[in-house]
Amino acid sequence: MVAIVDPDEDLVRRVGQGDPAAAQTLVSRKLPRILALAQRMLGDAAEAEDVAQETMLKAWRQAPKWTPGKARFDTWLHRVALNLCYDRLRRRREIPMETPPDRPDDGPAPDRALLAAETGAQVDGALKRLPDRQREAVVLCHYQELSNIEAAALMSISVEALESLLSRGRRALRLALADLAPGMKPGMTKGVGR
Amino acid sequence: MKADRLHALAEAYGADLRRWPASERVFAESLIAADPSLKTALAQAAALDALLDASPAPTPSADLTARLLAAAPKAKTSRYHLDRIALFLGAGWAAAACAGVVAGVGLTTHVTADERADAVLYQSTLVEVDDTEVLG
Repeated sequence: MVAIVDPDEDLVRRVGQGDPAAAQTLVSRKLPRILALAQRMLGDAAEAEDVAQETMLKAWRQAPKWTPGKARFDTWLHRVALNLCYDRLRRRREIPMETPPDRPDDGPAPDRALLAAETGAQVDGALKRLPDRQREAVVLCHYQELSNIEAAALMSISVEALESLLSRGRRALRLALADLAPGMKPGMTKGVGR
Repeated sequence: MKADRLHALAEAYGADLRRWPASERVFAESLIAADPSLKTALAQAAALDALLDASPAPTPSADLTARLLAAAPKAKTSRYHLDRIALFLGAGWAAAACAGVVAGVGLTTHVTADERADAVLYQSTLVEVDDTEVLG
């Protein structure tokens, strides 16, 4: 088996030895990524913070016994965070929650910052409405910037299946956000009708 | 790589070639260079990418960061090593004491076995003389 090159290997080893500077570096490097992943998967800031905290606490327990070469630590962190997100998504399905309706735009013309915030909120809303697996594919490839091979491995699917999920997800997003970018055609490409 | 594949890749991964599969990036670049009309597909994908990037990335709170740093693994101090030695010594003494108890019980059982056998044999012979002993 080919050993995996992990850019975090030395950092994780030092964290496992109790080096406070290494712990600080790991937190500043990974916490924003994991928090963003959880936020976009769950669409809820408080739940995302809980998931990020739990993931990092698991990282602290794992660091002293981490075996280099088997997997990248970043991939392991994503796996832990995604599992925690899916636990919460499952619980939500068991206890249905009322989705707040989209707010009508009846206020005065917003300024540029408000407009950007509104656009961000609409994108988040569209992401949240995607089926879980499509959202996961888009979040891992677009926001987390994982390679297609890493994302497919994390999702336990083939690269072809990942591409299909990505295409369907992006097509749904394009439809949902068409009002924000009138030049963006909902069915823009040919030969991708999977 | 055919144009259809390039469209499919743009549809899946967006306009930024850095997100595309590494094995297809160079071919895609050469294909686009040869046929600039293919840039249209990328421009459409770029419009969606720009919208997706409008989703704000959350910033971890100072409180969360502090909680996590407080829970990070701590270096093992010399006090920790002394404690470990004390623990091993204590465990050694406890094991020795247990072994002593077990040996003592075993030895006692072995030494008194003959005496107990004699006592049983003696008692079995008293059936006939019981009254004599009691009555004098």
